[in-house]
Amino acid sequence: MTSRALAWRTMTAERARGGLAIAGVAVIGALLFDMLLLSHGLLVSYRALLESAGYDVRVVATDNVIVRMPIPNATAIAGAIERLPEIREVAILRRARAAVLASGRSLQDVTLLSISAGAERHAWRIVAGSNPGPDEQAIEPPPLVVNRKLAEAASLSPGSIVRVRVALAAASALPAVPFRVVGIGDFLFDTADDLTASTSVGGFVRAKAAGSGDEAEVLLVASRPEFGPAAAAAAIQRLRPDLRAYSNEQLVAQINENGFAYFRQISFVLSSITLGFAFLLVATLLTVSVNQQLGQVAALRALGIPRRRIAATLLWESALLVGVGGLLSIPLGWALASVLDRILRDMPGISERVHFFVFEPATAAVHLGLLAATGLAAAAYPVWIATRLPIAATLRLETL
Amino acid sequence: MVDSLTHFSEAQARLVTPIVEGRGLTRTFPMPSGPVTALREVSIDVSPGEYVAITGPSGCGKSTLLHLLGCVDAPTSGSLLFEGHDVSRLSESARSRIRLTRIGFIFQRFFLLPMLDAWENVELPQAEIGVGSQDRRQRTRELLEYVGLGDRAHHRPSQLSGGEMQRVAIARALANRPALLLADEPTGELDEDTGGQIADLFDRVHADGTAIIVVTHNQLLAGRAKRHLAMKRGTVESAAPVMTS
Repeated sequence: MTSRALAWRTMTAERARGGLAIAGVAVIGALLFDMLLLSHGLLVSYRALLESAGYDVRVVATDNVIVRMPIPNATAIAGAIERLPEIREVAILRRARAAVLASGRSLQDVTLLSISAGAERHAWRIVAGSNPGPDEQAIEPPPLVVNRKLAEAASLSPGSIVRVRVALAAASALPAVPFRVVGIGDFLFDTADDLTASTSVGGFVRAKAAGSGDEAEVLLVASRPEFGPAAAAAAIQRLRPDLRAYSNEQLVAQINENGFAYFRQISFVLSSITLGFAFLLVATLLTVSVNQQLGQVAALRALGIPRRRIAATLLWESALLVGVGGLLSIPLGWALASVLDRILRDMPGISERVHFFVFEPATAAVHLGLLAATGLAAAAYPVWIATRLPIAATLRLETL
Repeated sequence: MVDSLTHFSEAQARLVTPIVEGRGLTRTFPMPSGPVTALREVSIDVSPGEYVAITGPSGCGKSTLLHLLGCVDAPTSGSLLFEGHDVSRLSESARSRIRLTRIGFIFQRFFLLPMLDAWENVELPQAEIGVGSQDRRQRTRELLEYVGLGDRAHHRPSQLSGGEMQRVAIARALANRPALLLADEPTGELDEDTGGQIADLFDRVHADGTAIIVVTHNQLLAGRAKRHLAMKRGTVESAAPVMTS
């Protein structure tokens, strides 16, 4: 009988002990799995969100990608960048805070966007009506695509006429400009509470009146595949040292260092604690088990069963407890992660497309690897007891 | 006639190399109140095929001597040769190998593995030395029939009586054809009738050529041995062949 088979028989012979141990490891393992998912989930999700926009380089005015300053003369800069051999496409994203006046109501804190023609295919998905057509740019009033939240709040549907007033300061003196709703869409970067509208460049300029200049919040750049985003970002940086060009990878790395460090640290602390619990649980169970079987272990040693065999059996027992519990912890952890993800995504300011927990096979592998290492470490003390016990003294004591 | 034959075979046995030779065996245990000497200057030879009983009051050093002879403990002083090898010079793994292949142990409390059935308990030491599965099956079947448990092979210890468990333990001890069988109070947990059955089984094992050293308080079992060591306060007080009628 192999050590593994002997360990399995030991585990199944004491079903209550084995079942409780496996359940304990599964629950602790589920928490560990969730902590590991949390440590990477936001980054994975954020990277996927950036990539889904269809652009792999972003150009901003400052080092800080979270608090953005406007890029002046955006059209000219975008043209210059587009002429670089590394670049395939450039889109200009403009943004302003605005109020929407409709159905006798005034909705504040609306984000008014304008994105270069053609780029909207990545920015939102139309759920009612349509995108503004090329010939609609000249039709008055200018076209507007609104998100569902704004459509519901202002009772808008395709064909509705609304008035939009851009807020340059707390009390804006700009006139309200009429817009024609042509579509309702789900915007890629929206949070659950965002009120968002997007219009043509002409509409945006008109809404901002004379105070706008030709400013952009960000330039979205697609590199040519033969060069790649890193080379494209470097070329833009050489062209315009006063701006900052970041590939998606660089953005993710920057946010990993700054914005998500909090989650990473929490995840590390909680992962360490859950590993500690797993260690203590398995070590305690195996130690109690060995102490209950000291007579049998001493007898086996007296019969000549070598230390390595006894150690291997205990290691297998630990591996089986942790292995079965660890495998169960993955679906359990994923179910728990789904609930936690829904709760966390309800926080204000979180894009609806961002997830805190994202399943990755590599994370599952790391999780199982950590549990396996914990199981081996937890078996160390009981193995030491079982292999170092004085045979004669133990037999004497166990016979008393 | 029976006596003379027995004594003749004992004498013959002594001519060959002893299985185990202990010289001046002393074992002292450190205790909080000071060292306690459980065994003092005991010398003993056991030859192939011998049947030795060690008796004496509790705490007189019987089990300590048995553990030294079985290579599970080391003397504080004195020397021990097992089949001519100085045990003190052997590594733990080498001593373990001797125990596995040349010595069989039987305990008062049986110490069978509760999660394995009788068959698997008997197979375990054989598997450890790499006996092939076919030979193992045959040997295990023979041994369980030998101890009268051919029909209880797939019962777990919890499903067996005390006497049956001890018979499985004897089969396990004999699994690798040991030269020496050591038994520490093998009838200590059994009633008189069952103890008698175990004594009968030991007679059979001895008759088949295996040397036996049994530590016991059971006079019936001790009476079956061909040599009797009476111990007191860590020393052998008398060593004599048992005269059977």
